[in-house]
Amino acid sequence: MADKVKVDGGGDTSHLYEGKKVRSSAPSRKKAAGRLKSSTEIPKDAIPEIHVPSFIESFFGGPVVSKQKFLPADRMVSSLQIGAASSLLILCFLTLAITPIAGTAWFAISNMIGITSLAGLFHLSLIVIGLIGGIYGVFQRDKRAMLISYVALILVTIRFAGSTVEFRFDFLPDGEIAQKFILILYAVFLVMYIELSSGVIRFSMLDTSIRMNEVYVMGVNKITRRYHTSLAIAPVIAGAVALMTLLINLIIPAIVDIFDGSSDVASERLRESVELTSVYGVALGTAIVFLIIAIMFGVNLPLRIQQMRERNA
Amino acid sequence: MAWSRKSAMFASLAIALYLLGLVLRNQQLVTVAVVLLSFLTWAAFMSNHADVSSSGRRAEEERKNEGVQLNSIVALRKISSSRIFEDGEIEVTLRLQNKSNLPKIVEVRDRVPEVMRVKKGANYVLMELGPQRETTISYTIETPLRGFYTIGPVCIRIQDAFGLFHNEREVNLYDDFLVFPKMEDIKDALIKSRVPKIFTGAVNIRNPGEGSNFYNLREYIPGDPMKKVNWAATARSGGKMMVNEYERDAVSDIIIIIDSRSVSETGPVSRNSLVYSTRAAASLSQYFLSRRDSVGLVVYSDEIVSVDRDTGKKQLYVLLTKLAGAIAKGNTPLKVVTNRIMPHINRGSPIIILSPLEDDSTIVDAVRDLRARNFDVTVLSPSSLEFEFDAKRLDRTGYEVLKTERDILMSELRGLGAFVMDWEPDMMLNTALAGARGF
Repeated sequence: MADKVKVDGGGDTSHLYEGKKVRSSAPSRKKAAGRLKSSTEIPKDAIPEIHVPSFIESFFGGPVVSKQKFLPADRMVSSLQIGAASSLLILCFLTLAITPIAGTAWFAISNMIGITSLAGLFHLSLIVIGLIGGIYGVFQRDKRAMLISYVALILVTIRFAGSTVEFRFDFLPDGEIAQKFILILYAVFLVMYIELSSGVIRFSMLDTSIRMNEVYVMGVNKITRRYHTSLAIAPVIAGAVALMTLLINLIIPAIVDIFDGSSDVASERLRESVELTSVYGVALGTAIVFLIIAIMFGVNLPLRIQQMRERNA
Repeated sequence: MAWSRKSAMFASLAIALYLLGLVLRNQQLVTVAVVLLSFLTWAAFMSNHADVSSSGRRAEEERKNEGVQLNSIVALRKISSSRIFEDGEIEVTLRLQNKSNLPKIVEVRDRVPEVMRVKKGANYVLMELGPQRETTISYTIETPLRGFYTIGPVCIRIQDAFGLFHNEREVNLYDDFLVFPKMEDIKDALIKSRVPKIFTGAVNIRNPGEGSNFYNLREYIPGDPMKKVNWAATARSGGKMMVNEYERDAVSDIIIIIDSRSVSETGPVSRNSLVYSTRAAASLSQYFLSRRDSVGLVVYSDEIVSVDRDTGKKQLYVLLTKLAGAIAKGNTPLKVVTNRIMPHINRGSPIIILSPLEDDSTIVDAVRDLRARNFDVTVLSPSSLEFEFDAKRLDRTGYEVLKTERDILMSELRGLGAFVMDWEPDMMLNTALAGARGF
């Protein structure tokens, strides 16, 4: 048994070492031997902790850490939290306003089982989950709650729409441009909410790293100002590009009208075309707009602009 | 241009929503997708770097292209010392210059070896570098382990405001430095050679000779100088003339053999047999060289590296450099080492073997051969069992069995007349040496 093992293996060695007694072990081992017990179990702390990735983590190919320790939010993070929460509130209102229940899967199921109010309840609960999950995620800086919020708010928009834009509330404008403008507003707020909420995590990480002396930041104000400026410009640009895409059914006839000259039959036909006003028209618009963007990248326009700025500065 | 995980997720989401929107004929989904794509495109556009491969240029031209932003940043580094001992500190100063006419927001990371810890300052800096401006980053790193190390390269990264795309460049700026094993002050190593070298020096060996330290008294032999006569002893001896004998001053050869086989690195990185052996060898070398002995070193791993015996401060640095570079690999038996070095060492010279005494069936034979040729063999054996047991990587039963085997081996070596010490992790080198030599 282990507790009977004599670790002090000294013995009389005087015959070997000219009358001197040599210890084969140090005193400290005696002390260690005194602590020996008969159990041969591997100590618990000897077994390394293994993190088994959860389903969500496996699905996204990386850890979705919810328990990451952040230091209390600084001013920048707090303002981002408020911004994210505000955009989420507006987004939820817009989602509620522009997504009718008709055409959704839950609408079909509730009709089948004969409880039509169930669809409305489910629809509303998805938006509420998106709202509460988002608010919780943003203020608690919990990535999982944020992810649930994103999924709920995207899921609520998935429905068979029959190619036309329909809104839930009647008080919203009927005009095509106004409708598309509201759609873009909704999309911009969705993207901004995703960006701002992920920004909360990003800047919390940065702030924690700064305060833990892992990263040193020189000129914090200039860096945050750049982010704020981009936050103001990017949605406008993205919205403008999206508006061009959505209004392709008006842009193409207008261009044809210029070349058509004497008669405006062709342009008129295009204006009345069902395909151009439908979602396929939007697809065509997307193809055209992004073809132009691809050409810009193809000719290295960003690089050339940069070179020009470097020269002229 | 490198995509971040965020931008990849944005792009995937946009494409998925776009396709779903087309399938379901849902303009709402398509609109969200288009806004997402526009957002991504704008970020890529503002990242100021195009996909150069689309321009048909060759790969080597790429750096020049992407460097419109990054090439204008120059880095220069200065380190406080290129030779340092373990547990020392090195101050690193990194100068960054922006030679462009535009301000840049850059992330700079000066890569330090993994085992080093940044003690003061930061090697990771996020900053706004003004046009034609220069800034200095300073940080201090601790050097906990011996070895050859390199600081660098300097990684410079520029990314868009949303963290969607980034452009990275490594500035090939490297600074090498050497970390010597730390040395313990040895008061008296209690190791003296019985065989002098031809050149006399200030060190006493255990033979009578023309030294300064008293050795013993003996009867007068015709030819002894009169100044050696001890008159007091002569008077006490009842008429016999007695003369003083002195210890012979001479330098001796000390050979230190280090086991640097793979097995010597068993245990935690900072607490294993090789770490302890190199520290002990450094301390012993310093001690013996300060006594003006000549010290030789043999490090065996997958090959046998030896440093010829020599004296002086220069030799100490040569030995320390070899010790700093000792890497655990291979499995050369000790017998091969002793067979190779024995013809080149004076008989009776002290040989100090620093080895965990594991995984080598030739140890007993090797020590027997050395003892048979009258070498004074001291074995200091840092116990990897203790390292493993302390780190809780070894269960108690395994520890007990291996410990018993080790004790038997050590007893056998002692039986051959070698001085052997089981060197435990918490034991000072002085104590271990004293234990080995039986004091």
